[in-house]
Amino acid sequence: MDNKYSPGDKVRILQRNQPGHVRTPIYVRGKTGVIERIVGSFPNPELLAYGNSGLPYKMLYRVNFKQSELWPDYDGPSSDTLEIEIYEHWMAPA
Amino acid sequence: MSNHHDHDHGPTHTHDGKPIQEDELPSIEAQILETSVRELLIEKGVVSGEDIRRAIEAMDTRGESLGAKIVVRAWTDPEYKDRLLNSSDDAIREFGINMSPMELCVVENTDEVHNMVVCTLCSCYPRPILGIPPAWYKRRDYRARAVREPRAVLQEFGTELPDGKQVRVHDSNADLRYLVLPERPAGTEDWTADQLEALVTRDSMIGVSDVRRPGEADA
Amino acid sequence: MRGPQDYGGLPAGPVDPVKHEHVPTHWEKTVDALMMLIFDQRRQLARVDESRRMQEALGEDYHKFPYYERWLQAVSWLMLEKSVFTQEELDAKQAEVRARLEAERDG
Repeated sequence: MDNKYSPGDKVRILQRNQPGHVRTPIYVRGKTGVIERIVGSFPNPELLAYGNSGLPYKMLYRVNFKQSELWPDYDGPSSDTLEIEIYEHWMAPA
Repeated sequence: MSNHHDHDHGPTHTHDGKPIQEDELPSIEAQILETSVRELLIEKGVVSGEDIRRAIEAMDTRGESLGAKIVVRAWTDPEYKDRLLNSSDDAIREFGINMSPMELCVVENTDEVHNMVVCTLCSCYPRPILGIPPAWYKRRDYRARAVREPRAVLQEFGTELPDGKQVRVHDSNADLRYLVLPERPAGTEDWTADQLEALVTRDSMIGVSDVRRPGEADA
Repeated sequence: MRGPQDYGGLPAGPVDPVKHEHVPTHWEKTVDALMMLIFDQRRQLARVDESRRMQEALGEDYHKFPYYERWLQAVSWLMLEKSVFTQEELDAKQAEVRARLEAERDG
């Protein structure tokens, strides 16, 4: 399975409402981060949650965000970051 | 254990004002449901009482002492540390640990970076290593605030970090499980593995505290 | 639409590492074991994401249920959904267990 993004790429997490079980928390939606690493391809949890096989697999990445991007009022040092795993269908090039 | 109600301290309430009740004895209804589900599963041949007993025993073998062995091996064996950071699943297999279907991600604390792990959506945790997560890890307080004000949460654990040290929060939300490799305290160069293992706490492997020598003051 | 489980960044109280510490009880470990057994390689009766879906389906009750009562509810609903047992069987069993536990308590 090919990865659409590579480490260092800037991505924006989609601001999307989606019913059902999803693993993209609201606080990262619409935010811009940088691909830290490619984790690999995994069954899609949005389908696994309904007893489905999870196919087709989805590429999963670790995305690094500046805390100040996530929280405009973040009061720690500007170097503080947060990393989270995001499936490819939840991101777009930024 | 007493029927301990956790309602009298702090604003640990949901947004509709209901107290969060996480650590209580189960209600009679929950006891009835648990007994019923368990007995039906046994009657249907899905599980046996022996399976349940063995699963509990297996769980009891996980915990901070297992994590401490891994950490100390990494502290004392550079080749192992390299493997633990870069081929984590292989490295822990030597300790009889299998993370499948999850994968392990080990994050290293250094002079410059402090890592801290949370699962905002549920309670993802490296259970094959550390066992059942602590109660605070599963509560709203930690899950809500660790991502937004990690330094304030660290202070609540007595962990003060200089501004010059980067805080890197890991929200464990999908297929990786995170283990923090804490910094080895200075002045322990000639300690034995047993002595070092006794220093490594569960909380230091979640990243809410550092490993300290006995008597060492807060940073 | 925010699910009840999506706590990240919401207002919340202080973390009290002393009071919010808790050694799992045997009852909690039993519920934990039931969940792990229905997930395991041999049985594969459910996936962790299905359990999460069931817990999220608690809605506002998600906040009120103690952690392992959420797990227990998820196990029960999953076993019903997968027809491992029926609602009628569960109802009958619960009535029997209720009578038994009440007799034990009063005895």
